[in-house]
Amino acid sequence: MKILLQARGASLQALFFVVISISMMVVDHRFHHLEVVRTNISLALSPLKYLVSLPATGGNWLNDWFTSHTELLEENAALRAEGRILNARLQKLEILAEENARLRSLLGSARKIADDVIVAELLSVDQNPYRQLIEINKGSSDGVEIGFAVIDDSGVMGQVIHVNPQSATTILISDPEHAIPVQFVRSGTRSVAFGRGSTTQLELRYLPATADIKIDDDLVTSGLGGRFPPDYPVAKVTAIEEDRVRGFVTVLAEPKAHLDSSREVLVIKPRQ
Amino acid sequence: MSKLRYLVIYLSLVVAVVLMILPLPDWVQIYRPNWVALVLIYWSMALPKRVGLWFAFFTGIVLDTSQGTLLGQHTLALVIIIYVNMNFYQRIRVLALAQQAMYVFALLLVNQVIVAWVEGIMGRPTPLLAFFGAPFIGMLIWPWVFVILRDVRRKALLS
Repeated sequence: MKILLQARGASLQALFFVVISISMMVVDHRFHHLEVVRTNISLALSPLKYLVSLPATGGNWLNDWFTSHTELLEENAALRAEGRILNARLQKLEILAEENARLRSLLGSARKIADDVIVAELLSVDQNPYRQLIEINKGSSDGVEIGFAVIDDSGVMGQVIHVNPQSATTILISDPEHAIPVQFVRSGTRSVAFGRGSTTQLELRYLPATADIKIDDDLVTSGLGGRFPPDYPVAKVTAIEEDRVRGFVTVLAEPKAHLDSSREVLVIKPRQ
Repeated sequence: MSKLRYLVIYLSLVVAVVLMILPLPDWVQIYRPNWVALVLIYWSMALPKRVGLWFAFFTGIVLDTSQGTLLGQHTLALVIIIYVNMNFYQRIRVLALAQQAMYVFALLLVNQVIVAWVEGIMGRPTPLLAFFGAPFIGMLIWPWVFVILRDVRRKALLS
């Protein structure tokens, strides 16, 4: 009891403060007049708040700085590696796209023949300048036999002269030792086209001067001899040389097949 | 010049406020002891003439602003516990630290109750565990608070 009396002064003070506190709470809750007080005190406290957040901010900043650097280096290396792989794939893709286009046209032409065909690829070219021989990647194990005609999507290329189990040697129509029976489309005149060792020129010899031949005439296989399927494009006439003395003309023709650039070829089984 | 010595009281309260706003992980936050209350209790026990209800009031305002509670919430709680303290400190001062700690626990609990009660009236959620957690931690650290502030007081040559 005594204690309470002693504290009487303080009691009034306490009561006063309690009332003030409760009124403040009501005012702060219901109205916003006390926002000013809050804002100002907040302002005064802001240095403390900044101080308190410094370690965390500093830690984060350091973490970012170091992590970023390491992360960037790693990311860089990873992206470079990926870039290299993608580049290589891209080149492969372009090559494949071109091959696809060629194969499509080749298969398109194969449909015209409606024969048994074997798709093959060029393996190598005989570098002998006097011979026009190529290796293809299909051989006896694929059904290729000597004498089979080899064509590309534009025209006749040659015939198989030698087979291995996995590859075959093909002589091109431009080889000097090759002769292919041909027929003029327009006039029906039959002749034989000889190779001259040049992929751009075939020679038709000893044609009668009276033959109906013009520049740009198309030559197709005549099918005689059974080696080549008939009516397959061979060449286009580029020049006609007259030999007045003997009364013959020599016709030069450019092969339609891409003898020096074709990569995909068809091997045709001759009709029995 | 002698007035400057009383600066320690303000400084200790500033430190207490800093400790109250220190960022802590979520699961630790609820067990944070009321440093301001602890420091205030000590000073009102040590210098009852100087540190009284006015101190409690203004410290309460600062605490309300920093904690985001209603202006008056912590004021009310602190005023009440300091008032109680003013009536009992003489008997508590002579007790051993451990027993003082239990008294401090009671005060902190009252503080907690008042603050949580107002929160409840406001419709804000009040976690149950924290109800006893924070005063309990406060009780555990009271001996240290007492000793440290006593040393500070002696260094500053305050009665």
